[in-house]
Amino acid sequence: MNKKIISIIYLLIIMVSITLSYIYFSQQETDKNQYDSSGKTVNDTDLENEIDNMFLEEDDEIEIGEIV
Amino acid sequence: MKKLCTILILLMMLISISSIAIADDEAGEDNQEEQDQGNLDSETEVEIEVMSNPLGAEIRLLQLQKALLKNILKGEMVVDVLEDLGFDNDNITELRDILTKMKELNDTIDDLLDEGMEELSSNESAQIFVENKTLAKNLTKQFREKLIETLNEMELNQLRQRIKDLVDEQLESLAKYIQNRIRQFNRNQLYRLYGLIGDADNPYIAEYLSGEITLGQAKLQINKIINNMTKEKRFLIFSEIKEENLKKKINAEAFIDQMHGKGKGKGKKGLI
Repeated sequence: MNKKIISIIYLLIIMVSITLSYIYFSQQETDKNQYDSSGKTVNDTDLENEIDNMFLEEDDEIEIGEIV
Repeated sequence: MKKLCTILILLMMLISISSIAIADDEAGEDNQEEQDQGNLDSETEVEIEVMSNPLGAEIRLLQLQKALLKNILKGEMVVDVLEDLGFDNDNITELRDILTKMKELNDTIDDLLDEGMEELSSNESAQIFVENKTLAKNLTKQFREKLIETLNEMELNQLRQRIKDLVDEQLESLAKYIQNRIRQFNRNQLYRLYGLIGDADNPYIAEYLSGEITLGQAKLQINKIINNMTKEKRFLIFSEIKEENLKKKINAEAFIDQMHGKGKGKGKKGLI
């Protein structure tokens, strides 16, 4: 009987730790910029996005709301 | 013994559920905080990124002025129509007062543009922009709310139709001027990019400025050149661009932190 209780407790502890670590790491993952510089390879989309961010769109407008 | 076992299991379940709830709550608070910031700055944060550059700051103020002028012109037309239709004088006076405040704000922006943005730090420019934009939004909202009290939905729709295209025509020259300033800004960016590539005399830069090619075409050309480079060179250029963009973002975020009172001691002038 005691063994059963202990194993259940262990299982629960494992479950709680898994849940907490999952939340911790998934939060970190979203905050972190996912660019990987270890291989020194550049994704085409990343490059295009960075180039796009350098420029202003000619039809860009500031929104302050409609008066009517 | 069974009772003890059940209590233990219940206790553990309670602990695990509460820990998930706490973690969720913390994540929720973070999101809420981001959202609150977002409500204030989601668009503005992107808009002020470019303000560390004096030309970028000037463009943002010009764009704000255009949006404000558009609403002033529309507001004046609305008030004229209301007067013609014989609406209550008190309401019209209140609407006119709001329009006067909007015109004063436009004069302030005009003065700022005349003085030039070169002397200001990126934080000072951003501060001016955010304050004036908030004021413009509030005045617009006040006018709209007063109008809603005065007219019903059908009358409002008729008014909207009547003034829709007239305003755009009146602002054409300002729109053209802003487009030219944006072209100048983008031309400078193209020059930097081609400089990184080692081809600062590329004819595409001048062709873009004169309007012979679009920004999309110029960017496509740059992408083609970079794609044909070695892996190392590509990485180097990417790193340079990324660093530049990150600096802009960090400056904007530092300013927002300062506005929210978190960044005390970070220095008044731009961080980078």
